[in-house]
Amino acid sequence: MSIVELQNIRKVYDTKVAVEGLSLSIQPGTMFGLLGPNGSGKTSSIRMMIGMTMPDSGSVSLFGQPFDRAALHRVGYLPEERGLYKKMKVLDQLIFLGRLHGLSEETARARSLAWCERIEITEAIDKKTEELSKGMQQKIQFIAALLHDPELVIMDEPMSGLDPVNAALLQQTLIDLRKEGKAILFSTHRMDQVEKMCDEIALISRGKLLLSGSMREVKAGYPRNRLQVAFSGDGGFIRHPAVAEVTVEAGVAELTLRDEGAAQQILAGALAHGTVITRFEVIEPTIEEIFIEKVRASFGDVEAGGIADA
Amino acid sequence: MPNALHNILLIARREYTERIRTKGFLIATVLIPTLMGGGIFGMAAIASHSATKSHIAVVASQTQPAADLKHELENGKDTKMTVDIVAPTPQVLSALDRQVQDKQLDGYLVIHQDAQPATFDFTPRSSADIATSSAIKDGLHSVLSHEYLAQHGLSASDIDTFMQPVTLNIVGKGGHKGDSTASFIVAYILFFLMYMVVLLYGMNVARSIIEEKTSRVFEVLLATIKPDELLAGKIIGVGSVGLTQVGIWMAAAGLFAARAGSMSAVTISVTQAIFFIVYFALGFALYSSVAAALGAMTNSEQELQQLNMFLMIPLFFCMLMIPVLIANPNSTLSRIVSQIPFCAPLLMNFRISLSMPQPWEIALSMALIVITIYAVLWVSSRIYRVGILMYGKKPNLPEILRWLKYS
Repeated sequence: MSIVELQNIRKVYDTKVAVEGLSLSIQPGTMFGLLGPNGSGKTSSIRMMIGMTMPDSGSVSLFGQPFDRAALHRVGYLPEERGLYKKMKVLDQLIFLGRLHGLSEETARARSLAWCERIEITEAIDKKTEELSKGMQQKIQFIAALLHDPELVIMDEPMSGLDPVNAALLQQTLIDLRKEGKAILFSTHRMDQVEKMCDEIALISRGKLLLSGSMREVKAGYPRNRLQVAFSGDGGFIRHPAVAEVTVEAGVAELTLRDEGAAQQILAGALAHGTVITRFEVIEPTIEEIFIEKVRASFGDVEAGGIADA
Repeated sequence: MPNALHNILLIARREYTERIRTKGFLIATVLIPTLMGGGIFGMAAIASHSATKSHIAVVASQTQPAADLKHELENGKDTKMTVDIVAPTPQVLSALDRQVQDKQLDGYLVIHQDAQPATFDFTPRSSADIATSSAIKDGLHSVLSHEYLAQHGLSASDIDTFMQPVTLNIVGKGGHKGDSTASFIVAYILFFLMYMVVLLYGMNVARSIIEEKTSRVFEVLLATIKPDELLAGKIIGVGSVGLTQVGIWMAAAGLFAARAGSMSAVTISVTQAIFFIVYFALGFALYSSVAAALGAMTNSEQELQQLNMFLMIPLFFCMLMIPVLIANPNSTLSRIVSQIPFCAPLLMNFRISLSMPQPWEIALSMALIVITIYAVLWVSSRIYRVGILMYGKKPNLPEILRWLKYS
């Protein structure tokens, strides 16, 4: 059973096509990264998942059922633009939001306190929202999305604007939730986070899906034809016939191969000539490289500047 | 749907508790009645002490009727003037003119008794001093009437009896003696109370929606609850604040009236109070739904200001209709305008205070209001849902119409 299933959804605002023919599915216990440049349709897609807007065509299913508002009690949502009642105290605010998700007042209170402890923000409990820093408000809203113990967590840019310590704290929290078997979808353009955290990704640009699948599948689609070799002694191994390009700098050679299979032969050849190898690595394409390449292709090279603004 | 109700009440409660704790609420609750009460009593006090105290001179060749006029003006019911009687000499007029110019006199009256009938010329210092001239006119009329009747052989006591003012008692339907002025005053008080609160708190509903849009809280809320639940909750929450405030004012007024006792020439009957509360609640809900729609369409207070005429126009229309209702509360026009849902809360209630309409008219007007509230709420929640997601851009009419088609 898919937790989220989008089938061929399309959404047009006025004359702008926000999402075009998007299909994707998220399995239980998955950390799903929704990637894309600014204005690519990430937020529009997320809003359709939680019924805030309806797709013009195509279908949305949650928990294996066609979309129904009743299912929203099982979803936790952190919107891209954060908003809390300014004049309300943090604890009251969390209890209010928890109760809107169907919790009793006592449960909401107990869980709010526990969560505040967990993400180290207990000192803010009695303050009004307007007295808090932006990062703290974000943590509060992070809690609000999780209070009712949702099976599906949807977060639009959850880490943006946080310092590295807090970002790592929230990242770890999400990883823990995934271990508990929850499905987590988050959108971002921070590729390092995606690399570290995600099991699956979908990349969209200009409303269209460019690629999707597990990290392994996505990367498998790209050749592993680059080598990085740190060595000392005889550098003759770089003159192998399979080497297309090479740069050597401070004892580190970067090689691009014509054929992936040649890597082992090159290593064997180097060792046979008595070269001392201190590091030998087949370099995988990074998500960032894939992202930039794909997005650039979707825009045409002209507009590629400023896309990877993360 | 108990779930929807649960959500509406949660929203309403939050809105209510947040607003009722603000300093603004406290200040408005205390200050508005203080200022208004102060104003009313102040004006009453000024009015009661407003007996003309002008100082005038009367130029007359004979002692009568000048002496009687002096007596009348110095000791009359509403006049406490000072009157000097001077004999007409050639220089007197220029002397008086000078005194008037030096502000020693407020004016002088010249009685030409050689003419038949006698003529009276009054030269006031300021022609805007209507109070003095009308006091003189009344005084002259009374004095001359007395004189005429006395000449025709009536005794002084007969004249006094004859000159008594007439009291006209207004008898209501049940044979109760009613005071029509009092029922007017009650109707007006209720009308303006409703008018003010509807305008004030209606705008508050719109503002609270805009506030939520600017703070972007609604995005979290709408991920759990429906826009119409959110709007209904806001209207109920902000509305209850309004009702609380009016309740406090009325309780205070009641206590005050009970203390003051005798001043209760203006009484509000139980029926009037009940209808007022019902129509107030309905009218408030209706206008708040309209305000909610306005709030949903706009992104800032400035934009809201431009649209608030949609709230004002029906209220102004109601005010224009009041004279029609007073002239004849049961005319066809009165009946029709008091059925218009946007006017009914004010006008039907006004009619009830004046003369009880048919029960079916009351029932019909209430039903129409409820239906309209529902329709407006339906429309506003659709505008709201689409409007908030298209923020930053001001919608035009075709766009708004298109929004209504969205689910």
